[in-house]
Amino acid sequence: MNEQDRKRKRALIVFQIVIYGFLLTMFLIQMNMYMNRDW
Amino acid sequence: MNLPTFTRRRASADTAKTTATSSVTYDQHHEQSRAAQRHADIWLTIGTALMGTFVLGFIGLPIFLRGVWLQRQAQKAGLSVRPIMVTLIGYLVVLDAFLNSIGWILDLGASHTLITRVFFTAWGNFVDNGYFWHYNELWIGGSSAPGEKGWEVTLIFTVFPMRVAAAIAFLQMKRWGHQWLTVTCWFGVVIWVGYVVNMTMYADIRFDGTVLPVVGWWLYDIFYITPFLAIPYLHTVNREIFSD
Amino acid sequence: MSTSPASTENTGEKELPLGTTPAFAGMHKWLKRGIFVCLFALVVEGAFTVPALALWYGWPTLSFTEICSELMKVRYSDDTVECEHPYPVDGPPFGGKPEAADQTTARDEWGVQPKPDYGRIGFRELIRIHEERIARQEAQNAAPR
Repeated sequence: MNEQDRKRKRALIVFQIVIYGFLLTMFLIQMNMYMNRDW
Repeated sequence: MNLPTFTRRRASADTAKTTATSSVTYDQHHEQSRAAQRHADIWLTIGTALMGTFVLGFIGLPIFLRGVWLQRQAQKAGLSVRPIMVTLIGYLVVLDAFLNSIGWILDLGASHTLITRVFFTAWGNFVDNGYFWHYNELWIGGSSAPGEKGWEVTLIFTVFPMRVAAAIAFLQMKRWGHQWLTVTCWFGVVIWVGYVVNMTMYADIRFDGTVLPVVGWWLYDIFYITPFLAIPYLHTVNREIFSD
Repeated sequence: MSTSPASTENTGEKELPLGTTPAFAGMHKWLKRGIFVCLFALVVEGAFTVPALALWYGWPTLSFTEICSELMKVRYSDDTVECEHPYPVDGPPFGGKPEAADQTTARDEWGVQPKPDYGRIGFRELIRIHEERIARQEAQNAAPR
């Protein structure tokens, strides 16, 4: 695997982590709101 | 160029391009490949169309899978067909765009039909009260959730049609299809961030009183992340396989 | 790469799909699995949504028009609103009045972040609500006599 491929793979993995991390964060924020408000 | 006495036989990938009479064999191979791909595509398209109707999805799925199977068979027989991933991503992006668009087109253009009033408010009441709260009180009808109409109109008329067009070109193995599918899938990041943050700002409207607050919406909508799975593939597939 | 190494690597090793280089073969395999999961889930969801919602909200005991009216009553906290069906063709989005125009009964705590105030609807609870209200109205009609 050449250097460019390696960097590309790493960048794409970072992207996956960031985007799913964002979604998880929003889910947790909403769950926190659910706990604290009477929905 | 066509030798009439040439008997038809399945061209094997290894020998097809290396013999002296390869141009004729290549044409036949090309024709057979196109025919096989088209045959698979008929099943894939019908399957996707049915899955896009929501209710007929159970019929559409086996039809779609048969298309995938046909393509795989053609591949094993040595014909030059699309990579399976290209097929999957292309059709799934179309399905994703259609499912989203149909829902929102109904909310925009059919908000006062009985079916829409029943199933949108019911769905809303179940997971996302943005589609229940003051439904059909806005001058234009449909969902009254703050920001919702902005997202609906924007996405129906910009990203989703662009994605469908790009996906079709991508399925045709065109270079611009690959490029534009990459661009429009990256839009998906903007869509998800913007839409979810907007929901969260007005979380009381969206979740207070729903049958399954928060969890219901996420369980339902998480499977629309197809573009996030397409992006890594689009960036790592060998671009040479897409022609101008 | 355009000479398609995939079809010539038959030497016992797993054939790589066209366009996939060895560097990304693993990634593509997992992406493919993820995509299949999304596909199956979307189809199952799509197919079950309509029947599941219909059942939860009281079909077939209640007709669609009745379900529409009951949901509207909950939405606007008003027992007198009904779903007009069929709705006049010149309604929204073609310029006419939306069905809930000028309603005043909805219970909301207004402010820059409105908070609604309606109860949660349980499994087939709309049927119970519907029948209780009919019973109440009949009792009221019977009482003056």
